Amino acid sequence: MSELENKANDGPGGGAHHGTNNGPEDDKGLGLGVVFFMGAFLVCFLSGWLLFPKLLYSKKEQPFNFDHNLHVEETGDCETCHFLREDGTFSGIPGLESCMECHTDEPMGETDDEAVFVEEYVAQGKEVPWLIYAEQPDCVYFSHAAHIVAGGMDCKACHGHIGESSSSRPYEENRITGYSRDIWGKNIWGVKKNSWDRMKMDDCADCHLEEMGHKGYCFQCHK
Amino acid sequence: MVIDLDKCTGCGACMVSCMSENNVPFKEDESNKKDSISWMRVYKLTNGKSFPETEMVYLPRPCQHCGGIGDHGHSPCVSVCPATATDYGYDTGIVSQIYTRCFGCRYCMGACPYHARYFNWWDPKWPEGMENYLSPNVSPRMRGVVEKCSFCYHRYQLAREQAIVEDREIEEMEYQTACTTACPAGAIVFGDLNNPAHKVHQIVKPDPHTDPMNHKVIGKSRNPKVFRLLERLGTNPKVYYMSDREWVRKSGDNYLKGEWENVKTHHGASSSHG
Amino acid sequence: MKIDRRSFLGLGLGAAAGIALSPVGVKLTDDSSIWTQNWPWTPVPEDGEITYDRSVCSLCPGACGISVKKINGRPVKIEGLDDHPINNGGACLHGIAGLQYLYDPARIKTPLKKNGNKFEKISWDEAISLVAGKLGEIRESGTPESLGLITGADNGSMAQLFERFMDAFGSPNTYTMPSLESNLTLTAAALHNADRSLGFDLDHSDFILSFGAAIIEGWGSPVACIQANASRYERKAKLVQVDYRLSNTANAADKIIAVKPGTEADLALGLCAVLFAKTKIAKDLLSGDVNKLAFAAMLEKEYTSDKVEAITGVKAADIEALAMEFIKAKAPVAVPGKGRGDVGQSLREFAAVQALNALAGRLNKKGGVFVMWPAGYLNFPENVMDDTAEQGLGKVKLAGSVTELVDKLEKDGGLSALFIYNANPCYALNNTEKVKAAMDKVGFKVSFSSFMDETALKSDVILPASIFLERLEDVVSGAGLAKTVVGLCQPMVKPVFDTKHPGDTLIRLAQAMGNSIADGFSWDSYEDCLEEVTGDIWDTLSDDGYVVIDDKPPVGTPATDFTFLASAPKIDDPMGEGDFTLVPVDKMRLAGGSMTSSPFAVKTVSDTVLLGKYSVVEINPTTAGVLKNGDIAVLKTAMGKVKVKIGLNEGIMPGVIGMPRGLGHAFNNPYVAGKGVNVNDLIGPVIEPGSGLDAAFGIKATLSKA
Repeated sequence: MSELENKANDGPGGGAHHGTNNGPEDDKGLGLGVVFFMGAFLVCFLSGWLLFPKLLYSKKEQPFNFDHNLHVEETGDCETCHFLREDGTFSGIPGLESCMECHTDEPMGETDDEAVFVEEYVAQGKEVPWLIYAEQPDCVYFSHAAHIVAGGMDCKACHGHIGESSSSRPYEENRITGYSRDIWGKNIWGVKKNSWDRMKMDDCADCHLEEMGHKGYCFQCHK
Repeated sequence: MVIDLDKCTGCGACMVSCMSENNVPFKEDESNKKDSISWMRVYKLTNGKSFPETEMVYLPRPCQHCGGIGDHGHSPCVSVCPATATDYGYDTGIVSQIYTRCFGCRYCMGACPYHARYFNWWDPKWPEGMENYLSPNVSPRMRGVVEKCSFCYHRYQLAREQAIVEDREIEEMEYQTACTTACPAGAIVFGDLNNPAHKVHQIVKPDPHTDPMNHKVIGKSRNPKVFRLLERLGTNPKVYYMSDREWVRKSGDNYLKGEWENVKTHHGASSSHG
Repeated sequence: MKIDRRSFLGLGLGAAAGIALSPVGVKLTDDSSIWTQNWPWTPVPEDGEITYDRSVCSLCPGACGISVKKINGRPVKIEGLDDHPINNGGACLHGIAGLQYLYDPARIKTPLKKNGNKFEKISWDEAISLVAGKLGEIRESGTPESLGLITGADNGSMAQLFERFMDAFGSPNTYTMPSLESNLTLTAAALHNADRSLGFDLDHSDFILSFGAAIIEGWGSPVACIQANASRYERKAKLVQVDYRLSNTANAADKIIAVKPGTEADLALGLCAVLFAKTKIAKDLLSGDVNKLAFAAMLEKEYTSDKVEAITGVKAADIEALAMEFIKAKAPVAVPGKGRGDVGQSLREFAAVQALNALAGRLNKKGGVFVMWPAGYLNFPENVMDDTAEQGLGKVKLAGSVTELVDKLEKDGGLSALFIYNANPCYALNNTEKVKAAMDKVGFKVSFSSFMDETALKSDVILPASIFLERLEDVVSGAGLAKTVVGLCQPMVKPVFDTKHPGDTLIRLAQAMGNSIADGFSWDSYEDCLEEVTGDIWDTLSDDGYVVIDDKPPVGTPATDFTFLASAPKIDDPMGEGDFTLVPVDKMRLAGGSMTSSPFAVKTVSDTVLLGKYSVVEINPTTAGVLKNGDIAVLKTAMGKVKVKIGLNEGIMPGVIGMPRGLGHAFNNPYVAGKGVNVNDLIGPVIEPGSGLDAAFGIKATLSKA
């Protein structure tokens, strides 16, 4: 027993008494702990903010660059290629057939991108495997008709200024969920400035609550 | 929905149409009906008498989309779901089931008095190539979630889209469930119970007041041939059944000796009673 | 600087705090929960443009119009077609499950050749030249009549194309599997001496007397019949079912007449006797010529109500009452054909029921039975037959029916080659073991099956046919429907596998054979052939999807010849020994004919019919003896013995075992095969003299606890 007591009194272990019995040696230990604490904290915090998104999202390029701005000038507004069908369903990303209403085996311009399009897709009758930024998971049912026609909303409210872009930004995919980065939002904190920055269920619910006075029933948006 | 049990032949077209429409999976051995997923299930009931007085009836049972006591939206399953994976839609009266929210506790299955809910004990697996016939309008499920009839809500979604672009209301025949359109005998009638122009309302004539004999019950049919399953529980289901035969109407609930005589002539109050 | 526990702790705590306050915590929690919801193997069906295409289902002779919903051209749902005059928007469970047939990986995907015990894949070119070569040899040996054909139906351009091939080849040996349609045609031939068929105007009848017909369970054109039944209430029409068990149709009927199984014909003749005794119309009809008088005499002597009571078990007074009720109705009709009316039927029974209709004056009347002309919309150009063909065609057919053919082949052989199209005799005929043995006696068998069914398994070459969803073809109504409608079955997708339209295969084969045969098959494709042979109606057929050839009662009343009935002997009592009579039961949810049920259909089958791997047989509790519900029992007949499960059912006659048809398929598909027993294995055919039909409605059996 006395041995143990001696050990307890002698060793640097007894934390409770540490503060009061401290010598300069002990102070350095705590200080070091605090330093390590602050250091680790800073490193992890900053990694979480800055490094984590880079690790979480994989970047994929579109099959070739698509110049929205040019096409809007040449052919018309969003509705020209992304339209509501007669039965109310949305046509989505145009298929090869729509593109071929103007494009043929001969390139119309001089860009490398069009050359790729013409050689690898038009000439071979192959659909372009576009990566869809706004793609929602399978459980979601989104009615464009309800929002555009009944809700009177503008494309930009959810899709941003993509129509004015000349180049296709890379498609960033969450490695864990497989979702597009556009759903959680570019900002890793989930903070958004514009209505199109984020499109999770809560964002839909917030807007519904504002516009309709009710967040919406489950089956309105799910299937 | 109202189902005419005198017209139902037990052919099973409603079951197959539902399974085909809603991406319901199938297994190699489906003879164990306890784990066979069949959102619409046709039951066979008999009148309990010996031959030659034996009579049978086939009773198709989809999810009853209960409104709960007083039709306030507290369906038995909705009341118990810890994840709000199932919820009552006050706009349509349809009880939704969202697979991504469900974590498979099966509390709802225990709560449902109609055994209308099914559990995916195993991952649905389609033989190679059969995935080609799956419909994009209904999410295929994974194992561990509960599924049930949704009154083909996706058809409502699509009908609404058409109505929106044409700036009008949905017409009665534009939104019909898969089972309704499949039934070759026309035994199933589907529509808006509250809309006097719809056939289902004209057949059922639901009483909008609570039942004076049982305040949990609302929407009791004024048609003496029409009844609901386990009506006295106060689940207030949206699915009504119709039969000329008294024993079939009696099969709709469990009656103690003598109880049926008191109940059998009690129907929804006519409008003159207010 | 000493890195000690404190600093390590500090490091750890700092890291933890840093991570906790960074977005990582929230994001990873959210992401993990989403990850648990989206397993990568859960399919995400592709979305796209919705279109609807129309076609006609040809899984059964019902010929219902179907509407196929497609997403970006990919079929996802089949429903009934609203404006089709046969089914008016309704569909049966088998048609709705059609997509499961389309994409079934168990389909035969390429032409196959038997090599020892296995099949090996070959190309179409190889397959055609192999078959053409073998057939060429047969022709050269001077015995073209040794090529046989077993086909499922006689109607439609495909049936006629096969017939044309057989003629050009030089063989009269075409055999059709028994079906309701073929039985009705035989009846019309026997009673009205003409190439006619019978149609039952159930929609307008106010008194339907059904002799065991499963009217709401798959008899005839199933959807049309179900709709005729559903409208009964509004129309105040009565249904009386003659049955030995409480079938669904019997249950839906206003009255059940319980008869001993196999005595339905006697009851019909008994009713005829009452009409003859008591009504002027029947007396008038049966006066005049010798044969009619002979029949009348037979009715008076052999079919008095008392005698019929002794045979059938129906009380004499009830027989009289039923006959009078029948004649007094405004538009009565008697309907023949136990169950689906295809196998196990006797011509005597069909004829007796038709005689009842005739004596009640119901021929060609609204709500009665129509004696219908053949559809007659096909006009094939004249065939080319060389000397070999003429010679072969002049030979006598080996047998009078497919059942007799099996008998003959098993005993003495007689065919060197056999085509099997749209038929599965190794499953669907009684005494399947004998059928298989008969098949073994044929040297070269070619199957056109889409699925590896029991008959395909026995074949030497398989030229797989595309299924109806991949075919352009005419589909004509029949099977007791009172109207004649030709529908156009249109392809919904390009063939999923390397299969061909059997018409194209036949044309290619004919052309490969060269000479006169090729001359008669000079079309480029079956599509060209179809357009040509449908001539006048082709345009309407392609535009509207259907053409109504006739939907009114035929004009005039045909004469009825009672000779056959006057001399038709009774079929022997069910063969074998045993306390029970085993009778097969047709179920709506289990497909008949050459069709196997889809996985969805098998799923709907109740556990009182199929439980695990066992067929469940129905027996009445009073004759169950020691057997209890759910017991496994050994069912033994003269044909063999099997294990079954017992289902006690009040609604079946005591002493009768009801066993479901459509189970017990034996091929490699765990979803639809290997379940239950094929009841046809247990029953032996009883060939009816005069018609060649297998009239075995049942067989004696014993049941003992296993």
